[in-house]
Amino acid sequence: MSEQSVTGDRRPVDLPAGTPPLLTLSGIAKYFPGVIANKDVSIDFYPGEIHALLGENGAGKSTLMNIVTGLYQPDEGELILNGYGVSFDSPEAAIAAGIGMVHQHFKLVSRFTVAENLALGWRETRRWLSASEMARRAEAEAARYGLDIKASAPIDSLTAGEQQRVEILRVLSRGASLLILDEPTAVLSPLEVGELYAALRRFRDGGGAVILISHKLDEIMALADRVTVLRHGRVAGTHKVSAIDPATLVTEMIGRPVEQKSAYPRKSPREKDSCVIRLDNVSCRDGAGRVRLHPVSLDIRVGEILGVAGVTGNGQSELADLLAGLQAPQGGRVLVDGKEMGGVSPKAFREAGIGYVPEDRLHKALAPALSVTENTVMRVFREHPIGGRLVYHASEALRFTRSLLERAQVSLSDPATPIRALSGGNQQRLVLARERMISDRALIASYPSRGLDIGAIAVMRETLADIRDEGRAVVLISEDLDELMALSDRIAVLCGGRLMTVLEKDDFDLARIGALMSGREKEHG
Amino acid sequence: MSRRIRLAVVPARRIFIGRLLALGFVFVVLAVVLAMLGLKLGMVARLVVTSTFGTKFGLEDLALYMTPLLMTGAAVWLGLRAGLWNIGAEGQFLAGATAATAIGLFLPASALVSLPLAALAGLLAGALWSAVPAAGRAWLGVSEIITTLLLNFIASFMVYYLVTGPWADRVTGAQVSSERLHVALPVIHGVVHWGGVLGLVIVVAMGLSLGRSRFGYELALSGSNPTAAHYAGVSVAPRIFVALLFSGALAGLGGMMEVLGTVHRLQGGLAHGYGYLGIVVALLARKSAFALIPAAFLMAVILNTGIVLQTLQVSASSVLAITGLLVFAIAVSDELAAYVKLETQK
Repeated sequence: MSEQSVTGDRRPVDLPAGTPPLLTLSGIAKYFPGVIANKDVSIDFYPGEIHALLGENGAGKSTLMNIVTGLYQPDEGELILNGYGVSFDSPEAAIAAGIGMVHQHFKLVSRFTVAENLALGWRETRRWLSASEMARRAEAEAARYGLDIKASAPIDSLTAGEQQRVEILRVLSRGASLLILDEPTAVLSPLEVGELYAALRRFRDGGGAVILISHKLDEIMALADRVTVLRHGRVAGTHKVSAIDPATLVTEMIGRPVEQKSAYPRKSPREKDSCVIRLDNVSCRDGAGRVRLHPVSLDIRVGEILGVAGVTGNGQSELADLLAGLQAPQGGRVLVDGKEMGGVSPKAFREAGIGYVPEDRLHKALAPALSVTENTVMRVFREHPIGGRLVYHASEALRFTRSLLERAQVSLSDPATPIRALSGGNQQRLVLARERMISDRALIASYPSRGLDIGAIAVMRETLADIRDEGRAVVLISEDLDELMALSDRIAVLCGGRLMTVLEKDDFDLARIGALMSGREKEHG
Repeated sequence: MSRRIRLAVVPARRIFIGRLLALGFVFVVLAVVLAMLGLKLGMVARLVVTSTFGTKFGLEDLALYMTPLLMTGAAVWLGLRAGLWNIGAEGQFLAGATAATAIGLFLPASALVSLPLAALAGLLAGALWSAVPAAGRAWLGVSEIITTLLLNFIASFMVYYLVTGPWADRVTGAQVSSERLHVALPVIHGVVHWGGVLGLVIVVAMGLSLGRSRFGYELALSGSNPTAAHYAGVSVAPRIFVALLFSGALAGLGGMMEVLGTVHRLQGGLAHGYGYLGIVVALLARKSAFALIPAAFLMAVILNTGIVLQTLQVSASSVLAITGLLVFAIAVSDELAAYVKLETQK
C-alpha cells in the first residue's frame, strides 16, 4: 500500500465520471503550542459515499473535524465546498453551508420533547410556538428521512440509540448534505447499530456524504466506502475499503504492525481457587429510585480475570462502584475475604487492597484542578512516609510521585502542574499505575483501554495478565469483546442491569455474547 | 503569522505583571474621574501619599484597617480552599464582636482573664454563626452562598437592637452604641493594638499548617472534586462542616479584635463592610495564604485613600467604586494572563 494506491483510490469507482467532490480539504494545517495537530491534510469527500477517518487518539481526527465544522480556523490550507473556497468563522456558518455533526455526547435538551429539540435547530421556528405544529413538522421530517421517532416523548425517556436518531434527524432537517459522526456506535446495542447503519446507507444512497470517525475496524470494514488513515496529524493513506484488509490499516495507523494478542496464557499454573470479593444478592438503585442493578450474586476469585461485557450503561458502572465500595448496595451483602463490608466505605475497600480504575477517570478518580502530585498520592496519603495521623509530607509526596511517573512512563518536568493539563492518555496511565500499586487483592478496571493508543493498550493488557499471574483478581469491564475474550477466564454479561449469565472460558463465543448483551438468551436461528 | 492560545498553567510571573497593569488601569481611571471633578491630580496624589504613609495618624489607620481585613480575608480564603463561598464573614464578624462585647461589659474580671475569654467567645460566636449554613451545605447540599449571606442581615439587626435597646449607652448617651468597654487589647504603639500581630501570626500559621497537614490535603481534595475525595476515602461532609466552622471562627475573632482593640464599643456600623471586603482580599490572595498579607495591605490603602478623597468632597461611595473596579480589572487581567501569542511558521 503505497503512493500508487493512495492516488489511485482518490475517487470512488461507482460514481459517474466527472462528479466533483462535495468537500475538498487542501493542505490543511493546524498548530497548537508545541504540537502539530494537523499538517498537509488533503482529502476529498464525495457525495454518495461514506468516508471513514481512522486514527489513534491524538492523531488529529478531532482537530480536523473541528476545522471542518467551523470551531477552529486552519492555520494553513483551504476548504473547498462545491468548488468554492470557503472559510467558516463559526459553527453556525458551517451549519448554514450544509455541514452537520453528530457528537459522541449528544447535545440535546433532556427535559424537552423530541419535537421541541428538533424545533431548536430550525431556522423557520416561529416566535409563537404551537406544540401540535412542532410535532407535525417533526413527524414530517422523520418520514422524509426514514428515521422513526416519537415526537412527543421527552428526551430523557429515550434510549441512547433513540437519542442519537433525534440528533441525526436534527442535523439532517437543518439541510445538511455532509453528515459527520463521531464514534456513533460507542453507546449503541448491536440491534441499534444495525438500524444506524441502515439509516446512514439510506442517506448515502440519496446523495449525501458521510464522514465517520471511528477506531473500530470492523465498523469501518462493514459500513464505509473509503477510509482515510491519519497518523501524527498527517494523512497516512486513503483507500477503498473493498481493496484493503484490517491488518494493513492497523499498520498504517500506528506506523508499525502491532498484534494485539488473542490470548494471555498463565506463566505459572493457578494455585488456589479462593474467593476475594463475593457479591451476595446485591442490588442497586439510582437517585430517582430506578433499579440500576437487579440482585446479582457473583464470586471474584484470586488469580482470575473476570470480564464484564455489556453495552455501556447497562449496570457496569454500578457494579464496579459496588465492588470498589464507592456505593453501598441497597440490598444484599458485599463480602471481601469473607468479611462483610457494611455501609459505604471506599477507605475500607482500599485498605483491603482493592484498586479501582473507574470509567470517568477525570471526574471520579482525579481532581482536575489539583497538581499531579496531589492526584498521585490520592490513595496513599494516609500512609507512611507521605502521611500520618495529622501530617502530610510534601517532599515525600513529590518523591513518590516522581517514582510513579517513571513507572507509568509519563514524562513531566514539573509535578506541580494541574493534572488537567496532561493528555487523557497520560492521566489514564497515571491512574492505572496508581491503582495497580495499591491493589494487593484485586483491581477493578472499567474500560481501561479507553483513551490509550494501541501500543499502550498492549502494555495495559500485559499488566492485567501480570496481576492475574501474581495471584490477584482482576475485574475487567470493557466494550471490546476481543479484549474480553483474550484476557478473561470468565465473562459475565450484563443487560438492563441484569446478570444474564457467566460464561466459562470454553464457552466463549462472539455471537452468543453479542446476543446476551442485547437481552436475548439465545441467538436467532 | 501568529495566533493566541490559552495556557492551561499560568506562570505566577505573568499573573503578577498582569495585576500590576490592572492596578495601573485602576489608577488611570481614577485619575480621569478626579480630573473631571476638577481636582488637581498632583495635589490629590500628594495628599493621599503623605496622609497615608507620611503621618503617624495615617500609618496607624492603615494598621487598624489591615487587622480586620486580614481576619475576614483569611476566613473567606479558608472557605475557598474547601471550594466554599463564605459570604457571611460580615455576620460572623458581628457575632464575634457581640460575644466579645458581652464579656467586656458584664464580666468583672482582670484583663488577664477576660481577654482570652473574649477571644474564645469571639471564635465560638463566629463558628456558631456559620454552623447552620455549614451543616446545611455539608449534609443537605444547601447553597452556603445564600445562607451565609442572609445571616449577615440578621447579625446586623441583632447588633442594632442591642445597641439601641438593652446594651445602649446610658453613661455618655452615644447614639447607636454600647458604652465603652471595660477591657481592651493592649497597644503596641499609639492606638495600634496587638490584634494585628495576632492576625499575621494566624495567617502565617494557617499557610504553613495547611500545606503540611493531612487535614489540609483532604480539604483541598474535598474542595476541588468531592467525587474524587469520596473515591480517595475522605468523608467530605464533615470536612466541609469543619472548614466553614473554622472560617466563621476566624471572622468572629476579627470582630473581637475590632471591638476590643479599635472601636472599644459595640456600634451599629461596626462591621464596616469588612466581611465583604474580605472576599476581595481572599480573591486577590489566590492560592497562597501568605498573599493575604499584601492583599489586606492593598485593601487598607484603598480604604485610607477613600477617607482622603472624602475630605476633598468626593462621595464616600468612591471606595466601593474603586474596589469594584479593582476586582473587575484583576479578574480580566488574570484571564488575559493565560493567553500567549503563538508564532507559527508560514
